[in-house]
Amino acid sequence: MADAVVIPQVQPVQPALRFLRLIPGVLLLAAIGYAGKLLEQNVGRYAKAHHWVFPNIEYVLWAILLGLLISNTVGVPEIFRTGVATYEFWLKAGIVLLGSRFLLGDILKLGGVSLLLVAIEITGAIAFMTFLGRVFHLKPKLITLLAVGSAVCGVSAIIATKGAIDADDEDSSFSIAAILALGALALFTFPLIGHYLHLGDRAYGIWAGLAVDNTAEATAAGALYSDAAGKLAVLVKSTRNAMIGFVVLAYAIYWASQGQAKAVGNKAAFLWQKFPKFVLGFLLISVLATYQFFSKDQVGALGNLSRWAFLLTFAGVGLRTNFRDMRKQGLRPFAVGAIGEVVIAVFTLGLVVGAEKLFGF
Amino acid sequence: MGSNEKGMPLKKPWRLSLDSWAVLVALLAALLVRAGVFKHIPW
Repeated sequence: MADAVVIPQVQPVQPALRFLRLIPGVLLLAAIGYAGKLLEQNVGRYAKAHHWVFPNIEYVLWAILLGLLISNTVGVPEIFRTGVATYEFWLKAGIVLLGSRFLLGDILKLGGVSLLLVAIEITGAIAFMTFLGRVFHLKPKLITLLAVGSAVCGVSAIIATKGAIDADDEDSSFSIAAILALGALALFTFPLIGHYLHLGDRAYGIWAGLAVDNTAEATAAGALYSDAAGKLAVLVKSTRNAMIGFVVLAYAIYWASQGQAKAVGNKAAFLWQKFPKFVLGFLLISVLATYQFFSKDQVGALGNLSRWAFLLTFAGVGLRTNFRDMRKQGLRPFAVGAIGEVVIAVFTLGLVVGAEKLFGF
Repeated sequence: MGSNEKGMPLKKPWRLSLDSWAVLVALLAALLVRAGVFKHIPW
């Protein structure tokens, strides 16, 4: 009889120590975010006092720019990295708290329209990315990752799909790098295009939520346009995120049928495991706000708390974007992603303009 | 998956996901605001 494999015992890291390791990075996020807020208030005032022509740059952009500057010059020292990675936590907590600023009726009305647009977007984006990947002779699983990343919700979708279809680490790194690079570009181009086309807050917010891949970048691209656009971008992006389980399940079943991934056992458990729980938190807070569980002042306080959480997120978006690392990943997946994103952006813009005329939102 | 000395598969320790933590912390913050612990949050 063969001996059983004995795995080496790894000393678990104490929870208190794990918590302490987060502190430097979280403080860095807070410092950059707050510096962005101070710059927004003071730079405009200083420029006005000195009669300079200077655009009004919002704290969102300042926080991202400061983060980008640090990440791409001196880099993020090791001691800060664990805490900086919490920016996703702040994003999700911020989205849940933002639920207090939506009444259930608005969510049902806008959610219904956005669900329809999201379904069309996901189908169109997956079909087009698959076609494009085949034209560029990318590996089939890399095509799947890029398609899911651009159709549903960026990095989270890629990570969820990677595990479900047994994709290579290299393929997922390629896809994540392409999606992050394109998300960074979208941050700066979407508001410019929106202003150029004179899009209203609603149309722009829905467009950003439909077309920008990563939740953090979609939230930032919306907030850069206006507060109202930011709220809608989050709502539409959360609708997209809610679809992640279904898309990943479909791909897992497909790759299992090809004998290249493990079969999916309990499909309901699979869907629950992949479902983004913050969407449920967002809906719960919104229900509580609709039934006046919170007073008007308390809703204001929760809205402000959500803004503070987003401030840390925006600093994190800048800090984790390193253009040198992205360049190392190669050009072809990036080219496929870039062409795909441009087509998806134009396609979703057409969808939003058409839906605006049809539903009059 | 790893195994112990008897060759049985090791059970992963149960942990809350990042998503679930974010929801719990946000709900706790909302309850504290509702209870009046935090009366005003400036921006």
